Amino acid sequence: MEEYARDPCPWRIVDDCGGAFSMGAIGGSVFHGIKGFRNAPTGHYRRLISSFESIRIRAPITGGNFAVWGGLFSAIDCSMVYVRKKEDPWNSITSGALTGAILAVRNGTGAMVGSAIIGGVLLAMIEGIGILFTRFSAQQFDPANVMFQEDPSQLPKKETIFGNSPTYQ
Amino acid sequence: MDQANKRRGFFSSFAPPQAPPSATTTVDVPATPTVPAPGLVSPYLNFDPAYITPDTGSDFIFPEGASRQRGRFELAFSQIGGCVFAGAAFGGVNGLYSGFLETKELTGAAKRTQLLNFITKKGASSAQSLGVIALMYSAIGVILSLSRGTEDELNTMTAGTCTGLLYKSSAGWKKCVRGGLVGFSLAAVYCIYTSKDRLKTILSKD
Repeated sequence: MEEYARDPCPWRIVDDCGGAFSMGAIGGSVFHGIKGFRNAPTGHYRRLISSFESIRIRAPITGGNFAVWGGLFSAIDCSMVYVRKKEDPWNSITSGALTGAILAVRNGTGAMVGSAIIGGVLLAMIEGIGILFTRFSAQQFDPANVMFQEDPSQLPKKETIFGNSPTYQ
Repeated sequence: MDQANKRRGFFSSFAPPQAPPSATTTVDVPATPTVPAPGLVSPYLNFDPAYITPDTGSDFIFPEGASRQRGRFELAFSQIGGCVFAGAAFGGVNGLYSGFLETKELTGAAKRTQLLNFITKKGASSAQSLGVIALMYSAIGVILSLSRGTEDELNTMTAGTCTGLLYKSSAGWKKCVRGGLVGFSLAAVYCIYTSKDRLKTILSKD
């Protein structure tokens, strides 16, 4: 993953859509594979066939649903970056909630509110984990920390085998 | 090296301007030997310059006609997303066209609903199939380039052929082989197109 970085904004929509589609299709393959294996007539061969059929039919649908979610999320995110002229966690959280609301628009107001809350909380958790991770990994690169450790005058005096006398090299 | 001079390196922009270190410190020895002290060179520069410029040619310039500069994994998600978008656009237009053909006798709200249904269903299904093809191709390509450690045309050809075989693997032997052939030929066309500069040099040599 070391070569992976996020694209600039208009292309990020395509990128996120692709990432979400892959996530949904691969995850859906596993899920529907297991489901098809369980829901099948007896016999290992039949179970495998049913598992494969289930993956073939339903994994792309899961991927497509994820792709719609990711693409809409990223589109709202980019629009908010354009409008607010800044990128912060609130963008992601708001666009998560808005995406949830928009995708549930056919199911009534209650469902819209419910999935908006779910989307917002989910994205807030993801952003929070990201911020925590950045903070922990940033401690290693703190320049003040590094200077304090590397300054030789801050180190304790070295005990040599000749006692505590200074060595002249 | 005196300590004040060393510490200035980190917070140089915050530190008050200091007088330059006196010329008697060892750091300020000129890089080239001067007339009064011909043998005295800065210790940091007193080494064979052949170590930094080996005569094996430059290392960090990509050769001309290199097939790809970015890694496969980095491009994979954009490619998949582009395929999903292209499939949705193509399927939407296709659905609009076939919806107009199918709903000639309808009018009003019924016609509108039917048209929307055609557009969304066709768009979704072609976006799904194109996305799955792109996902298979990218996954096989990434696995190949990671396992072989190189990035070349063989990866592209193998990934294209395997994608065609895998996508049509449930439709019977004949269709499976046909899918593989289609994948192989598309990958071959792509490879010829991307490496035509190298092909030109190879052909002109003979």
